[in-house]
Amino acid sequence: MKKLEFVIISFFCLISLNACAFDVLNIKQIPAQIESPEMTKGSFQLNAELKVDLGTGFSRTLKKGTKWDYVGTVPFGDVFKTNDQILTIEASNIYEAYIVVSASKLVGFYLPVERTFSPLSQPEDLIIKSVQ
Amino acid sequence: MKMFTKFFVLLFVSFSLISCATSGPKFTELAPSISKLPPDVGRIYVYRVTSFGALFQPDVKLNGEVVGKSTPKGFFYIDRKPGTYEILTSTEVDRKLSLTLEKGQTRYVRLNVSMGFFAAHIYPELVDSETAESEIQDCHFIGQENKLSLSKINMESGQSN
Repeated sequence: MKKLEFVIISFFCLISLNACAFDVLNIKQIPAQIESPEMTKGSFQLNAELKVDLGTGFSRTLKKGTKWDYVGTVPFGDVFKTNDQILTIEASNIYEAYIVVSASKLVGFYLPVERTFSPLSQPEDLIIKSVQ
Repeated sequence: MKMFTKFFVLLFVSFSLISCATSGPKFTELAPSISKLPPDVGRIYVYRVTSFGALFQPDVKLNGEVVGKSTPKGFFYIDRKPGTYEILTSTEVDRKLSLTLEKGQTRYVRLNVSMGFFAAHIYPELVDSETAESEIQDCHFIGQENKLSLSKINMESGQSN
């Protein structure tokens, strides 16, 4: 019986030590004001799938053939959104996201609800073609 | 040790009973009579497919307001003005989804379940319409009449005027 008590006590100690670990996954967010200039930068289509490591243990795939429309600019790049796939970024919570592109590279995500920019640790090349 | 066995058997029986308890018409039965989306608002469907973790059915909050419950194999929907929204569920931790809603847009939020230490974690996830429309078919309606959604919108309109 003592062995059983030991197991139960150990179990609860383990829980106490780890209970706070559920909310440790956060994404980096930088406040970002989106500006919509009068000149639109149009749309583009992804010519190749891109798998993005979010650095939170989760990844996202931007699907080949999806069309991305310009919605504005943040200090980190141009913001594009799509209706062709659901895009969210995920840590402990999940956030709807648009992509932020600078010099044909995906540099991070714009979170329209939080109005923040979440940078990628490593910008990723986008293989695109312009769409009228 | 016999006590432990009994405890686990009881636990699983409870799970089974609860998971069978979802009532209300199925989506397939209700779909023809679901009200058409008014042109100036958007609609959010919230559904939970799995019975896993059925003991845990936290409230679903939309921007802090309770709009439904995370009942296994249940669904409900809410109509709201275009804007930004946060959907939150709480068990031993809070889990949040942020999303935008546009005029005439329908969005689908699936309530997923993962295991925590003391309780299951229910986390809302934005799902594409193709996946959601296939998954929601066998879910049962657990929501209020859509009148509630509309009265809420009317109230908000009244406040903003």
